[in-house]
Amino acid sequence: MSENKKIGSTYSIPIGPVHPALKEPILFTFKMNGELVEEVDFAPGECHRGIEWMGMRRNPVQIVHLTDRICGICGVSHSLAFARAVEQIAEIEVPERAHYVRTIIAEYERLQSHLLWAGVAAHELGFDTLFFLAWRVREESMDVIEYLTGNRVNYGIVQVGGVRRDFTEDQFPRIEASLKYYEDVAGKLLNLFLEDRTIQMRCKNTGVMSEKEALELCTVGPTARASGLAMDVRYDSPYAAYGDLDFTPVLPHQYLGLTNGDVYDRIVVRLLEVVQSVDLIRQCLENMPSGEVLWEKKYPKILAACKKATGEAVGRIEAPRGECLHYVRMDGNTNPQCWKVKASTYSNQMSWLNMLKGEQIADIPIVVASIDPCMSCTDRVAVVHGERTDILTKADLHRLSVEKTRRLAQWS
Amino acid sequence: MVMILGVDPVLVLGGTVAVALFGMLAGLVFMGIERKFAARMQARIGPPIRQPFRDVAKLLSKDSIVPENAIPCLFNMAPVLALASSIVILLYIPLGGFLPVLAGYGDLILVMYLLTVPALALVAGGFASGSPYATVGSQREMVTMMSYELPLAIAVIAIAWRLAAAGIADPFSLATIAGTASGITIWSVVGPLGIIGCVLLLIVLTWVTPAELSRVPCDTPEAETELCGGLLVEYSGRNLALFYLAQGVKTVAMAALAVALFLPWNISWFVALSPNAALAADFAFFLLKILAVIFFSVSVIRVGMARFRITHVVSIYWGYLGGLGLLGLVFMVLDAYIGGGGVL
Amino acid sequence: MSFLPAIPEVLRQFFKRPATNLFPAKYLPSSVTKYLKSVQEGNAAINPPVETPPNFRGKILYDRDTCIGCKLCIRVCPANAIEFLPDTKKVRIFVTQCIFCSQCNDACPVDALHMSDEFLLADEDRYSENMIVE
Ligand code: SF4
Ligand code: SF4
Repeated sequence: MSENKKIGSTYSIPIGPVHPALKEPILFTFKMNGELVEEVDFAPGECHRGIEWMGMRRNPVQIVHLTDRICGICGVSHSLAFARAVEQIAEIEVPERAHYVRTIIAEYERLQSHLLWAGVAAHELGFDTLFFLAWRVREESMDVIEYLTGNRVNYGIVQVGGVRRDFTEDQFPRIEASLKYYEDVAGKLLNLFLEDRTIQMRCKNTGVMSEKEALELCTVGPTARASGLAMDVRYDSPYAAYGDLDFTPVLPHQYLGLTNGDVYDRIVVRLLEVVQSVDLIRQCLENMPSGEVLWEKKYPKILAACKKATGEAVGRIEAPRGECLHYVRMDGNTNPQCWKVKASTYSNQMSWLNMLKGEQIADIPIVVASIDPCMSCTDRVAVVHGERTDILTKADLHRLSVEKTRRLAQWS
Repeated sequence: MVMILGVDPVLVLGGTVAVALFGMLAGLVFMGIERKFAARMQARIGPPIRQPFRDVAKLLSKDSIVPENAIPCLFNMAPVLALASSIVILLYIPLGGFLPVLAGYGDLILVMYLLTVPALALVAGGFASGSPYATVGSQREMVTMMSYELPLAIAVIAIAWRLAAAGIADPFSLATIAGTASGITIWSVVGPLGIIGCVLLLIVLTWVTPAELSRVPCDTPEAETELCGGLLVEYSGRNLALFYLAQGVKTVAMAALAVALFLPWNISWFVALSPNAALAADFAFFLLKILAVIFFSVSVIRVGMARFRITHVVSIYWGYLGGLGLLGLVFMVLDAYIGGGGVL
Repeated sequence: MSFLPAIPEVLRQFFKRPATNLFPAKYLPSSVTKYLKSVQEGNAAINPPVETPPNFRGKILYDRDTCIGCKLCIRVCPANAIEFLPDTKKVRIFVTQCIFCSQCNDACPVDALHMSDEFLLADEDRYSENMIVE
């Protein structure tokens, strides 16, 4: 970490893999000119856990709860995406009510994730008061999630073919109370985050990404929406109960009248999505149909259905950070033949390079945090420094993927 | 009585030791209370008030690690210099009813110079650390220093000038400014225009304090989330403890300076007390005033906003606060010539 | 003040109660082990943790007598935390391995498995008596 080579007037400064600004392990190398960033490079791969490898040695009913653990914050996004993939392969019809339960939990997750992010962003700006406040407000959604699912973080509510727990009438007042709480506090949050001059000074015109760049870099989720791209999996290809709900993707110009694509816009989008989530949950509660919540109560039958299934499918959902995609391929064995996870950060991380260029050191933490990165979701490879360090180039990786695809094709 | 250069060495030595002890003790206590204030405002309980003592005790019991790339002598000398210079500042500032230990041997201008010495020690230590974070931190500290120097100087000079304009002898002496002996302060000299000027200058000084003490929003040189502690990143153990103590002493010194300039009143001016009781009451009141200054210019500001970029620090301190200070100065000048409050 | 809206907010908060949850004690005791010991001896009180909701998933409970040894729980356990004991045709659950998903509870045909609301499970030994349910 003490690498400090002076090259002319520039010097390089490493940030990560362990650094107070980064809540997740990733290594950035900045070539600096005074306080200005001239060049950026980053190396992920510090926390690859081989979870896909573990999954391919388990059956889908087991994997569904492994997916909860891919990310520490998105407790339902990954399991929902995975379950959707398996349900498509096994042609399982999910009961209507289960769709609503899934939607409610997914929206609560968005609530808590965005508030968590808002807190982290405030902390990166040195504004710890808002960090404490946002997390205190977030606690309400964690409590409701715990009340509904039995756990604060790893909800374990999604099952292949539905959900494991139904919401009963006597739970509704608690949900209603939390929605009321968020409606009351939303104005205060918007005021504290968006009207504050110091936050405006720090965030406006910082880490700008134009709509064109956002499109070309294939960014997803709030990061893309903050640049003006109206894309949201919930809206574009509705899943769960989203098709029945009335909403449009949140874009910064709805609040500000224009879109800059800067860090400030990303705060706007996420805070407005908090408000939107409250509305969506309320719509779900009003329209919730009655009925079963699980396609089949008997576990042996679910296991058998998964085992019989052959084929491949992609489950896409809108996680709080953007599109989360699971590819599953089943070949009539108990365990899937292939399972591939693409988390939202994977799509968003390349936007860092453009955003960071020309910014000051002071802006690095907030710009990096502005896409709400989650490295533990994203890391797919670990580069282990042993005697020999092989760095695979793009050509190598391409060759390896072609080989793997051939191998997969031969198996089936 | 043996006198050296017109000074009674016993008195000065004793006073210095007493002030040094007071500075370190009060610094830690005030830092503990300040953390409580901030915690309260953030809806937290916060650490117990004795936490800074525990921190220092813990740091003192640990090894000081000198990094490979560091320049050891400079690296180890910086914390000592920072603490010593912070204490020296206190020797020139009246503490409640007590005259400064070195009263008559230096004035406000000297104090202003001395205020930069702990910061310079930090900068030297940062550059000597041989870490890119510390280097960037040192550069930022220097820029910050240059930024707040202008508004600070304006505020200080405006007050002293106004006192001089009122015909008071020795206006740059802090004992005069605080009116410790005479009971005459800036507020009793100025007229209505001057009061506006004084309030403006008070605002300027309130904002200079966080920059001087490197607290949010001006903690850019340390910036935990950007530079992992910047200047101090390589410091540990005893060296860090000294910096920590220096920070405490500096907090007291800055607050005491603000008190001397703008909140100089003593209880004994209003209530007749026996000399000893007066000293005690004045001192207690002085501590209370320090606490008030810390509350407003450290706690409230630091919990109420985000960190500035270093470029913001420059533009805000030179532009806005410099401008505000000049405006205050103009008011003072007007007050002296036409305001009728002065005794020109 | 819409210029720095946080300032009035923090000043208001200054006079309100802090939100900190005081579990297990207001301040970190200087020695945690001594503190816990004095709690055990009844000399000190612990601030209770936040209550768990009704369907909380804590440490697993196993009703050995009801179990019919069907192994279904083993097939659905994501963490491979359950071991089959062929001699007795019963199971053994390793709590340190368990991820508290309660899937085995749902799957068990005779309702032999349950989740308790016990969650303070820290232990120094993975295989201590507390950490193995059988
Ligand atoms: S609760 Fe889940 S992890 Fe624990 S033993 Fe049961 S199935 Fe396995
Ligand atoms: S599923 Fe129930 S009955 Fe079957 S082995 Fe497990 S605990 Fe026993």
